[in-house]
Amino acid sequence: MRREAILNAAIAIALLAVPLAAQAMGEPFVITLATKVAILALAGVGLNIALGLGGMVSLGHAAFFGIGGYAMAVLAAPVQAYEPLMTWPVEVAGTKSMPIIWLAATLAGGLAALAIGALSLRTSGVYFIMITLAFGQMLYYFAISWPAYGGEDGLSIYVRNGFPGLNTLEPLQFFALCYGVLMVALLFSRVLARSRFGLALAGARQNPLRSAALGIRPYSVKLTAFVISGAITGLAGALFADLNRFVSPAMLSWQTSGEIMVFVILGGVARLFGPVAGAALFILLEHWLGGFSEYWKLFLGLALLGIVLFARGGLIGTIAGREVAHD
Amino acid sequence: MTEPVLEVRNLQLSFGALRATDGVSLTLCPGEIHALIGPNGAGKSTLIGLIAGTLKPDAGQVRLAGRDVTAADAAVRARAGLARSFQVSAVAADLTVLQNAVLAVQGARGQSFGFFRPALADAALRGAAEAHIARVGLSDRRTIPAGDLAHGERRRLELAMALALAPRAFVLDEPMAGMGPDGAREMTALLDDLRHEAPILLVEHDMDAVFALADRVSVLVSGRIIASGTVAEIRTDPEVRRAYLGEEMLE
Repeated sequence: MRREAILNAAIAIALLAVPLAAQAMGEPFVITLATKVAILALAGVGLNIALGLGGMVSLGHAAFFGIGGYAMAVLAAPVQAYEPLMTWPVEVAGTKSMPIIWLAATLAGGLAALAIGALSLRTSGVYFIMITLAFGQMLYYFAISWPAYGGEDGLSIYVRNGFPGLNTLEPLQFFALCYGVLMVALLFSRVLARSRFGLALAGARQNPLRSAALGIRPYSVKLTAFVISGAITGLAGALFADLNRFVSPAMLSWQTSGEIMVFVILGGVARLFGPVAGAALFILLEHWLGGFSEYWKLFLGLALLGIVLFARGGLIGTIAGREVAHD
Repeated sequence: MTEPVLEVRNLQLSFGALRATDGVSLTLCPGEIHALIGPNGAGKSTLIGLIAGTLKPDAGQVRLAGRDVTAADAAVRARAGLARSFQVSAVAADLTVLQNAVLAVQGARGQSFGFFRPALADAALRGAAEAHIARVGLSDRRTIPAGDLAHGERRRLELAMALALAPRAFVLDEPMAGMGPDGAREMTALLDDLRHEAPILLVEHDMDAVFALADRVSVLVSGRIIASGTVAEIRTDPEVRRAYLGEEMLE
């Protein structure tokens, strides 16, 4: 426990220190990379609540990630087109304000997770994986055939959305925002894991029959966790779209679902900082190995295989050892 | 005769052509231990599933404390006071003994949807959980993950979790399974004590324990109850002898 806490603190400090150093050395690209790590880690923190705490292997989290991204586009695109968002029954204007966009993306991700989870959680095991994948693909093809937001080509949002009191066009300030959101999500995730709900979720994961025999409906507990998970991943999607100033159906593709899952598994399933370590390693590999060979994903695959076979706790587990039960 | 706490009326369930439960009726009255015995494949676990609510009957009724709970799921029946233990130890292996017990207490109270305060910091929850752990003699093991407990200890943890439901009736599926003679003796004493808490429907293969504890014994064969009576009556029942018990077991 102590070792893991120190390791977590070291990761948090490193993720903050790298962009600060990059700023000092005039390397804005590195700041963008760090921002990407923070945002993808946030998506992983969301998935980790479903996968790690709840044991729900969702291969459809790109749906929530993409919905968050499109929520941003739906709100921000009318502003750059000088049009209202809707005119009937009341006229509503779009917005370029991040807090409102974040709220919308979180709600949209959570609602989508409620609908998808309510149906998917009637199954389990490999069927759950397949049905979440199917829902993800449904939304992917919907986005492709949705001309209002660019269809297959996606849609550019030319100016990054704003946050009161900050200049989000400044890479370091946008990074700080994303980092702050990530830290809040990590804190929430930690509090959740130790709460009564977290205990009920652990029970539902490890022994659903026993949970029911204790008066706790595993379905309700898991669905609630799935909604929280989808909401956080949705928020990450809005930030990711803002980072790229672009949304496209690729955010909804099953490869995205797979990548989010890779962050969690690389870093350590159910470990608090697992998604952060995993996303950081993934981005580092992408850029270092990607420089040597365009087949870098082959090496990523080998690394993943090694971790699954020999290091079940992922990076965090390998360094910090077995998770010690708290208290 | 007092009102039964748990009553099963003409319960039926078929899996395809197999009649797993074929018109079973039985009662569990306050203060008693009612043992259910029968050969492997007799349908004991199916009957327990039907009583606990994990299986739905094709016909028949389950009544708990005078209330019809046939349509209620397992979680509702648990909160209504039906405490069940499993044939294979069912605890959350990665959680500590104390966490398992807290989980049971919050489940019984319907307080599982608290998202912020640490569960173990709740003095009321924790106090109740520690009392149940003490009752089964696991106080000095409370920080151990349940998966690291010895078999007999895990069995006792299950009982502590059942106690947390403030049960009206226990339904225990082979609590002695896999225990050595010492463990079985301890468990027998514990069950004898628990009957004052709530009556016990006891499914058990350990005949020493059944004959020592049971007030009544019902014999289930092929989904039917073929005999029901006191230990002495069952021991001498010729049909039971033929269908199930080896002659030597009855001497």
